[in-house]
Amino acid sequence: MSVTSYNERPTVKAGETDAISVPWSRPRPKRSWISSRAVSAVTILVVLAAWALSARLQLVSPVFLPSPAAVWTKFIVVARDGFVDATLLQHIVASLGRVFAALVAAIVIGVPVGLAIGISTIGRGIFDPLLEFLRPIPPLAYLPLVIIWFGIGEPSKILVIAIAMLAPVALSTASGVRGVSKERIDAARSLGATQRQVVRHVILPSALPSILTGLRIALGAGWSTLVAAELVAATRGLGFMIQSAAQFLVTDVVVMGILVIATIAFVLEFIIRRIERQLVPWAGRE
Amino acid sequence: MSHLVLDKVSVHYDGQPAVERVSIDVAKGDFVVLVGRSGCGKTSLLNVAAGLVEPARGVATIGGSPITGPGPDRAVVFQNDALFPWLTARENVAFALRLRGVPLAERARRADELLRLVKLDGVGDKRIWELSGGMRQRVGLARALAAEPEFLLLDEPLGALDALTRERMQTTLLDLWTAAQVGVLMVTHGIEEALVLATSIVVLAPGPGHVVRTFETGFSRRYAAGEPIRSIKADPAFAAARGELTDAIFEGEAA
Repeated sequence: MSVTSYNERPTVKAGETDAISVPWSRPRPKRSWISSRAVSAVTILVVLAAWALSARLQLVSPVFLPSPAAVWTKFIVVARDGFVDATLLQHIVASLGRVFAALVAAIVIGVPVGLAIGISTIGRGIFDPLLEFLRPIPPLAYLPLVIIWFGIGEPSKILVIAIAMLAPVALSTASGVRGVSKERIDAARSLGATQRQVVRHVILPSALPSILTGLRIALGAGWSTLVAAELVAATRGLGFMIQSAAQFLVTDVVVMGILVIATIAFVLEFIIRRIERQLVPWAGRE
Repeated sequence: MSHLVLDKVSVHYDGQPAVERVSIDVAKGDFVVLVGRSGCGKTSLLNVAAGLVEPARGVATIGGSPITGPGPDRAVVFQNDALFPWLTARENVAFALRLRGVPLAERARRADELLRLVKLDGVGDKRIWELSGGMRQRVGLARALAAEPEFLLLDEPLGALDALTRERMQTTLLDLWTAAQVGVLMVTHGIEEALVLATSIVVLAPGPGHVVRTFETGFSRRYAAGEPIRSIKADPAFAAARGELTDAIFEGEAA
């Protein structure tokens, strides 16, 4: 075939190519001159400005909505002098301590449970219904029962958070385990790996990216359970701080507490993503 | 001398016969290649030899004793390398040694030796995803050899590679086969590949899988004796064998 025979095909004018909707001729999306990050930054600034403006114009009473400046001042004051007998740092440490203790508990229980669900039919039969039962219950619903059973001490608070974290950890582990390629397991077995070695050296590391995703979700779930966990008989903690402040209508502390909780959640998410990149650099590259 | 033997093996999947009464004998030092159209049960037979699939009838034995499960005496290399991405190339190769509790320094030394054997010296510290398809398959071969198997079971190990890489890997395979003195049972779709590599070729046909013909070939022995691969492929006998093998594979099928 000669090159000129290409001319026999109907030629498409430059402008008409857009009309053909085969994927390879689709026009490339125009290079955007704004990034979504910039849009996000502007959005946040607008929200802050609206907040400041409505506070300045006294559209609502400061009891309902204190000004950003007032919240910031409160942040400094609480950080330095404290609120309800503890500084902000002490509240944060108390809350973080509970969440991390719960995370450890959720890993210690959730990862083996997830392995059992993913590996064995019996394990799946036992744990799947239990997790499916536990998963949708809001923490505030089981909080009273936990208190009746375990009292109002620290263990109850950690338990409430841990229960919220358990399902994401276990279910992510299980889905990671089920996703391990059969060839990889067969290859290990043909190299002489015992059942136990396959779990330890092939299944666990293969499921690690999924387990870490589970931890990230669990951390979010645990952090959002915090206020509920600190409802009863706490003397420290961000959730406790907010509730005490609410009882005395110290709205600026409430707002400040909410912002601190949000910020810490954001930082935790960031840190765990960094850990993911360090620990499982192969994820998504296979 | 050790033999890997499939004796009148039948394989059923959900009661449906996939392979019917196939016998294969691989002696140490043999390079037996299974070829045939899709659905002829090549991979099923390889999996029986690996101990990953249980035959419905017949027996598979190694050195006279029945095969009951996978074992390091029969290391398998799959089409998709099935390497472990959380380990470096060296650690992948050393995997079988680690399972046996070989000390770290010793297994690193042995792994580097094997990497040199598959012509991958210097990539020991690389991660798996940094390697090309051909390199990964070399790592897979080195990893299998680290188990010091008597037999290598290769399930289309070159199937996912581009044509040029595949040609080079064929000679690598022959070099390894000679150096490691193992018996090889390999599944492939490549007709020329089968001729280059095999000491004997088993042609299977589907419906359910059975042996059509067995060829004894000598081209790989000629390579092992030092003849360059190009001169072997240029030999008229090679072309003739290719024609004969092609006919056997497509026998009974409308042209």
